[in-house]
Amino acid sequence: MAAARLSASLVLQPRARTLRAFSTSVSPATRSPRPSPSTTERTSRYGRPLRRKALPPRTEKMAVDQDWPSVYPVAAPFKPSAVPLPVRMGYPVKRGVPMAKEGNLELLKIPNFLHLTPVAIKRHCEALKDFCTEWPAALDSDEKCRKHFPIEIDTAGYVSAGPSVRNPKARVVTLRKTEEWEKTKTEADMEEYVWKDSSSEKNILETLLQIKAAEKNLELSKEELLGTEEVEEYRKSVVSLKNEGDNENTLSQYKESVKRLLNLT
Amino acid sequence: MSAGIMLKGMTRLISSVHKLDPGRFLHIGTQAPQCLAAHLDNQVATESPRAISRTSENDPAKHGEQHEGQHYNISFQDLKTVFSHGLPPRFVMQVKTFNEACLMVRRPALELLHYLKNTNFAHPAVRYVFYGEKGTGKTLSLCHSIHFCAKQDWLILHIPDAHLWVKNCRDLLQSTYNKQRFDQPLEASTWLKNFKTANEHFLSQIKVQEKYVWNKRESTEKGSPLGEVVEQGIMRVRNATDAVGIVLKELKRQSSSGIFRLLVAVDGVNALWGRTTLKREDKSPIAPEELAFIYNLRKMVKNDWQGGAIVLTVSQTGSLFKPRKAYLPQELLGKEGFDALDPFIPILVSNYNPKEFESCIHYYLENNWLQHEKAHTEEGKKELLFLSNRNPGQLERLCAYL
Repeated sequence: MAAARLSASLVLQPRARTLRAFSTSVSPATRSPRPSPSTTERTSRYGRPLRRKALPPRTEKMAVDQDWPSVYPVAAPFKPSAVPLPVRMGYPVKRGVPMAKEGNLELLKIPNFLHLTPVAIKRHCEALKDFCTEWPAALDSDEKCRKHFPIEIDTAGYVSAGPSVRNPKARVVTLRKTEEWEKTKTEADMEEYVWKDSSSEKNILETLLQIKAAEKNLELSKEELLGTEEVEEYRKSVVSLKNEGDNENTLSQYKESVKRLLNLT
Repeated sequence: MSAGIMLKGMTRLISSVHKLDPGRFLHIGTQAPQCLAAHLDNQVATESPRAISRTSENDPAKHGEQHEGQHYNISFQDLKTVFSHGLPPRFVMQVKTFNEACLMVRRPALELLHYLKNTNFAHPAVRYVFYGEKGTGKTLSLCHSIHFCAKQDWLILHIPDAHLWVKNCRDLLQSTYNKQRFDQPLEASTWLKNFKTANEHFLSQIKVQEKYVWNKRESTEKGSPLGEVVEQGIMRVRNATDAVGIVLKELKRQSSSGIFRLLVAVDGVNALWGRTTLKREDKSPIAPEELAFIYNLRKMVKNDWQGGAIVLTVSQTGSLFKPRKAYLPQELLGKEGFDALDPFIPILVSNYNPKEFESCIHYYLENNWLQHEKAHTEEGKKELLFLSNRNPGQLERLCAYL
């Protein structure tokens, strides 16, 4: 039936074309009607089966209080149609935002822990409980644990950086030891500002010493001077100023602390 | 002379008051009721319209919160001595046009004056830094405080724009004192001339405490007045930078003794720790500390001396290699600058508040500076407010076209 129809349509077409050449005498009504495939049928004019229309994603049918471990029972790649979160990932181009989750390769590449939500872990624990024994009562402090079961430090003499995140060694945490060259870290390398031994500390110390000398009050020692409440407040304001940068808040805090330190009204 | 200007001003004002409709006048009146009340007590009744934008209190020492937003007059005498080299160029043009120098009393300057009045001269000098966006009035606030100190008979050490010393220097000589450093003879001699006009009476009182040998034939003996060193610098341009260094050193040493009080005022202090555009003959860049003047000035703004105060501004205008929108102290000073100036008191200078804005417009109207017929109307003022965003510098530039 379908084949007959197909051949009919193929045969009819050249005739339609020849008819068109003498279009003046031929009215549109006399043209033989071509069988047009209705939308419900799955055949195409040109012989290739049509793709079926995409169904709405599963996220739309998900209830808020659904059972999540049944959506992701095992470690599985990220399925944008199964995860109801509006996640975005990617570097935004100019005047853009990070890419959405549909068709996002970045979200597929990274490891996800959607199968290890607290609810799922609780269920794993419940299931494993039958196979476990009690925690030994003697191991009740951290020191005892460290003594009997010390952490082994394994040093590797190489660094491996590969394109795959699936390297099994990536799951093993290794604790580092301090390298020789780390001792040469200078103030310019520091990630955040440390007030101790900084030039700010030296400055304020000198200033305070001079003030005390002017008032003939030389009994206070360096530690006492640095331990007062005003100096503590000043230290906090300088640290926040350096780490957070300038803004109205940090600057006004700094101003107040300096005023108090230098006894200005 | 000032009385004549006042009379002229009053007649101009009375004529302009007739032009203004009473609704306008009431509007201004409601904005400044307290200053009107304060001034009606001690002023003649005909002068009350001027109280809105002007005050007759010309001594900065007596300026208080009640004068906020009002202009006070700086006498021509002070202009010639104290401000021979300190005022911003546009302000100098305005002074020449209006034939009077009027400065608005604003809150940051009042704050600083309050600190200066309560300075403890036995303690190390405190550093105050004016910071703010472009055109908000940092330099003029600095000038206000300089005027105050000059009236209180302090010795004023004013460097009008430190940025001028780190760029566009034609001739750099190798320093005679220290081979590693460089001299800037032209700038140094100009500065010495201005310093001399500002502090004439001090130069004969202060005596140098060391002998300084300039070259084989000339030297300054110990105990001779500082004026001689300054003269030497002005006459022998080669030694000008060294003369400046000596002046700075002597002043710093002697201010602690209490004979005089020293005010160090530097505009654009962020130039001292920035970069320079000066190069040696082999085109390698020069760091700021290799310039003898900058090196000595850095020592001056340290707080290891007593008997005075240090007032500074950080400004992006004229600075080198700093983005246009930078105005916060740490951005402009950098890490080195901040560590050198720490601890200091930062004082923010912001745009005009509505009262100050009204006062400024009123001042321009008084001097017939705004010729546009819509300038005194409400919409005109709103338009100016919108266009300038109450930024003083921007407002001044806009009004120049009207």
